Amino acid sequence: MIEFKQVSKKYPTGQLALYNINLTLEAGEMVFITGHSGAGKSTLLKLVAMLERPTKGDVLIGGRSLSKLGRSQVPNYRRRIGFIFQDPHLLYDRTVFDNIALPLRIAGMGQNETRRRVQAALDKVGLTGRESTFPLMLSAGEKQRVGIARAMVNKPTIILADEPTGNLDPELAQDIMFTFAQFNELGATVMIASHDHALVERMKKRTIVLQKVD
Amino acid sequence: MANMTNKKAAPKRNAASSSNPFSTWWNQQSGAIKFSMERLWFNPVSTWITLAAIAIALSLPTSLHLLLKNMQTLTADNREIPTITLFLKQSVTEQQAKDRAELLSELPEIDNVRVVTRDEALADFRKITGFAQTLETLDENPLPHVLILTPRLSLLSNLDMDIDSLSKKLKTYPEVDDLQIDVEWVQRLRGILRIAERIVLVVSILLGMTVLLVVGNTIRLDIENRKEEIRVTQLLGATNAYIRRPFIYNGIWLGLFGGVLSLVIVHIALLFLIEPVTKLASLYGSTFILSGIDVLMTLKILLASSVLGIIGSWIAVGRYLWQDDSIIR
Repeated sequence: MIEFKQVSKKYPTGQLALYNINLTLEAGEMVFITGHSGAGKSTLLKLVAMLERPTKGDVLIGGRSLSKLGRSQVPNYRRRIGFIFQDPHLLYDRTVFDNIALPLRIAGMGQNETRRRVQAALDKVGLTGRESTFPLMLSAGEKQRVGIARAMVNKPTIILADEPTGNLDPELAQDIMFTFAQFNELGATVMIASHDHALVERMKKRTIVLQKVD
Repeated sequence: MANMTNKKAAPKRNAASSSNPFSTWWNQQSGAIKFSMERLWFNPVSTWITLAAIAIALSLPTSLHLLLKNMQTLTADNREIPTITLFLKQSVTEQQAKDRAELLSELPEIDNVRVVTRDEALADFRKITGFAQTLETLDENPLPHVLILTPRLSLLSNLDMDIDSLSKKLKTYPEVDDLQIDVEWVQRLRGILRIAERIVLVVSILLGMTVLLVVGNTIRLDIENRKEEIRVTQLLGATNAYIRRPFIYNGIWLGLFGGVLSLVIVHIALLFLIEPVTKLASLYGSTFILSGIDVLMTLKILLASSVLGIIGSWIAVGRYLWQDDSIIR
């Protein structure tokens, strides 16, 4: 499903983030990426989401090289991906509902279907009834859950999460990891970057450790 | 999952599979329209300032154009039809003059010909000038037969060339001694109006560009304020068209409402002018009425201002999308 072939990434600043990565993820797999900060966990996820392009090597999704994807095809490709950041990047001038509905509106979905899907996503992350709240009135954990709901609402085939539990208390972090596991069981391929070893071990999933390159 | 790579066959993927392309398109358009309208009221003060700037920039060329149009109706006024006067040679008899008049009236350029015989002319001259006694001292009538030609109006709206060639042609007739063209003042006025027309054009272009800049700058600031939002939507799979859409509608509204406001301004200015203009016209014994903006012109102005709004916002968004390929880091 996701395949890295001798991928290296060097940033224009000269920083070498990834060196010669070979990695294959099966469809429907859930993996954790761990490693010290600066080991390139985020870069790995960004390469999949096409937020960065590799300097060397190739990333293949479903057997198709991302380097062959033209500029105009990128938006459509991104709609298949749910990306969760440590900072959820919510839009603060819109309600929770409007934030979560954003991917559906981008896709041009009708009002009724949008409402149904957003309700379902809210339900899944345990925020039912908060749809007309503005993000500023939410706690960090709630914001993160809105970010997750937004990433999930479009039923993506690939879910990428970059330190999704970074600033949450352990209980909440556990909850959120189980949410990802649920989405995984529904068929999504999940990649989670995390440095929370205890939590990762408890999930009992395949774990990839990135070493820092110098 | 299995057809992950089959993008062309299923470009809209599961999210929109329940709806057809038209409803997808409509949902996106209506969403952008609604959103851009809301943005206008998001910051009403800056919206009104922008609209006022656009309206003022548009009302100047509009009013100049109106002024010009009114001047043109003045020269096209039927009562002011200019004439060409042919003075015939002394040797020409009255019958010859009438025959010539008959022939001339057949010409396509001529509307009608009036013959003023030397006797009639003398009688008129006596009446008008009061030189009766002076005229008595002359032993014969010094006045020639005169033909007064009224050219067709269409001729006048054409180039000076036509009048010139007509007068040359008239001069070649053996009976004609001299001719006097009474259309010169009209031609001069038309000449001046032609220059004024150019000036209006230049002013319109300059102020049109002003509208473009005002809209472009407003949209640019709006983009600047919404960079984060644009980045997030890009990450969620927004196409450039999706990002551009609300800004383009915003440009349309600014142009359109600015145009409406400029029409209001010009109408008020017209109301302000009507009374003194009618008074002045009546002093000249004219029934001249100040003509306002008709429906066609209204539509033209609104269309032009909306198009300027579209172009201005298109440039602003295009510039942003070209320079900023980046996304959340």
